[in-house]
Amino acid sequence: MAALRDVYITATGAFLPGPVVSNDRMEAHLGLVGGRASSVGKRALKWNGIEGRHYALSAEGAVEHSNAGMCAAALGRALDDAGLAPSDLQFLAAATTQGDYLVPGHASAVHGELGGGPMELASFQSVCASALMAAKAAWLNVRAGEADRAAACAGEFSSRWFRPQFYEDSALIDAKGRLAMEADFLRFTLSDGAGAVLMEPSPRKGGVNLKVEWIDLVSLADRFDPCMWAGSTAEARADMTSGWSHAGARASHQAGAIALLQDFTLLKRVIRAWIGVWMQKVDEGRIAPDAVDHLLCHYSARSLREEIVEVLRSTRAMIPEEKWFTTLPESGNVGAASIWIMLDAFVRSGRVKPGEKILCIVPESGRAMVGFMMLEAV
Amino acid sequence: MDARADKPDPAADAVAEVLRKLAVVWAAFEGRLDTTPLIRRLDRGQLSREGYLAFLCDLRQQVKDGALWMSRAAASISEEHLELRSKLMRHAVTEHRDFRLLEADYVKAGGDLETIRKGRKNVGSEALSAWMFHEAGKPNPFGLLGAMFIIEGLGSIKAQEWGRRVKETLGLPDEAVRFLLYHGENDVEHMQEFEAMLRLVLPDEAVAERIVRCAEVTARLYVLQIEEIAV
Repeated sequence: MAALRDVYITATGAFLPGPVVSNDRMEAHLGLVGGRASSVGKRALKWNGIEGRHYALSAEGAVEHSNAGMCAAALGRALDDAGLAPSDLQFLAAATTQGDYLVPGHASAVHGELGGGPMELASFQSVCASALMAAKAAWLNVRAGEADRAAACAGEFSSRWFRPQFYEDSALIDAKGRLAMEADFLRFTLSDGAGAVLMEPSPRKGGVNLKVEWIDLVSLADRFDPCMWAGSTAEARADMTSGWSHAGARASHQAGAIALLQDFTLLKRVIRAWIGVWMQKVDEGRIAPDAVDHLLCHYSARSLREEIVEVLRSTRAMIPEEKWFTTLPESGNVGAASIWIMLDAFVRSGRVKPGEKILCIVPESGRAMVGFMMLEAV
Repeated sequence: MDARADKPDPAADAVAEVLRKLAVVWAAFEGRLDTTPLIRRLDRGQLSREGYLAFLCDLRQQVKDGALWMSRAAASISEEHLELRSKLMRHAVTEHRDFRLLEADYVKAGGDLETIRKGRKNVGSEALSAWMFHEAGKPNPFGLLGAMFIIEGLGSIKAQEWGRRVKETLGLPDEAVRFLLYHGENDVEHMQEFEAMLRLVLPDEAVAERIVRCAEVTARLYVLQIEEIAV
């Protein structure tokens, strides 16, 4: 059997649609639900620390990009940087929380927008961690010698879900016209964009090359009900037969099931479970916190509760905040695309030096999952 | 983290390592606990009043023993470790009447005092209690710090969450949920106190291993106790 090959991220690309939308304009941009300002918006923004974000919808509500189109744009930038064209790709993995269509898969839509002739595809649908599922597929394909040039991309068009008409005439709006907290909070959390990485079996001259040492994903869905979901109501979500596809689109909308929802009580437990997985990785020696030079985490250190920081400190599993690199405040939380948007900004910042270790962490509240990717700059 | 830049501190190294292993045990424990039929129902807002009464009744039989095994453990600690002995004795005093609170909650929630007082331990509670007393009778039973980590963690991390959920689901007043609600918040001080206790017995490789093992066994038997509650 042929030996496994080393694999390098040889180029990165990001696409953020339209201008930056600031905190004071974002709610008007999405549209006021029932004509009234949210009662949780300020609290949500304070908690997540986001100051700016981008939307693929104009302030008038016009759709200016598709999810697939944004992914193709991010891929185009990564390929351009490497001096390559879409036709040079042999394998493309695409990730998203929700593609433009229900069927077929997101990768088909991205390939359609990108062009480039026949190639192998893989579609990954989850929430944030889907980015690393796609990355793992691309990495393994190059590693095993199945492809010499593979790309992984991830895109989100969350703002579609946040327009008032997605909630109006549904059970998510109470008698006083207020939107349910489990729906409202996310309107102030998620935004749009795409990112991509190119993977090859040898470093590219002149640029920053990041050797992919390993990618681990751990799901804890066997112990949690959905924490961030769309397709069922908060009450019925543990029952898969309650899904929108069984009840039908119209009835599901009325029940408040066709919306992105999050359970904040459950989220606290999910965060503890993420920390548990992290501790295990440290305890097993898979991750040595001291050996990490840069941490790119799809979560804000400031959002961790005091007791969690204390647990990390007392077990020496904390990576000091000065090693964290993030674009969360200025680019927003772009779900699956965030890690690539962050990595692209990190690579372009010029701060990475050969030999340094970069750890990417992508927690997904969806049904409790967390992904890790260890890179080494060469 | 910063401590390491200074002079070597083997006690601090050992404490951090044990705490990390305990955190891993805790995470697995919480995952297993959350998938028991009782806790699944509680989390999903489907717990009935009968389910809550059964929960209190079964907990009471084991909670009653909590301060007793702690006292026995204190009695098994030699005079070289007087400080730890004092801590355990104080701890036992604070907790030894907790089962009365459970009884009062039970009655407020509509249960009969005689029923909870005459209740017997379920199979899991029998195993948990027997294990604690057995371990507590050994000379210098420092492994029980691991058991304390699990039991205290239930109080500081899970109890309030459960209490609030019970209140919401069943529409009960605070006076019927005091045992779950009154437990302290999962605060930083709590964890630092536990860290200080570990420092009294570490570094010691055999003790470190025993603490983690005791946490594993206690966690498994606690889950067994919850699994055994009929809902």
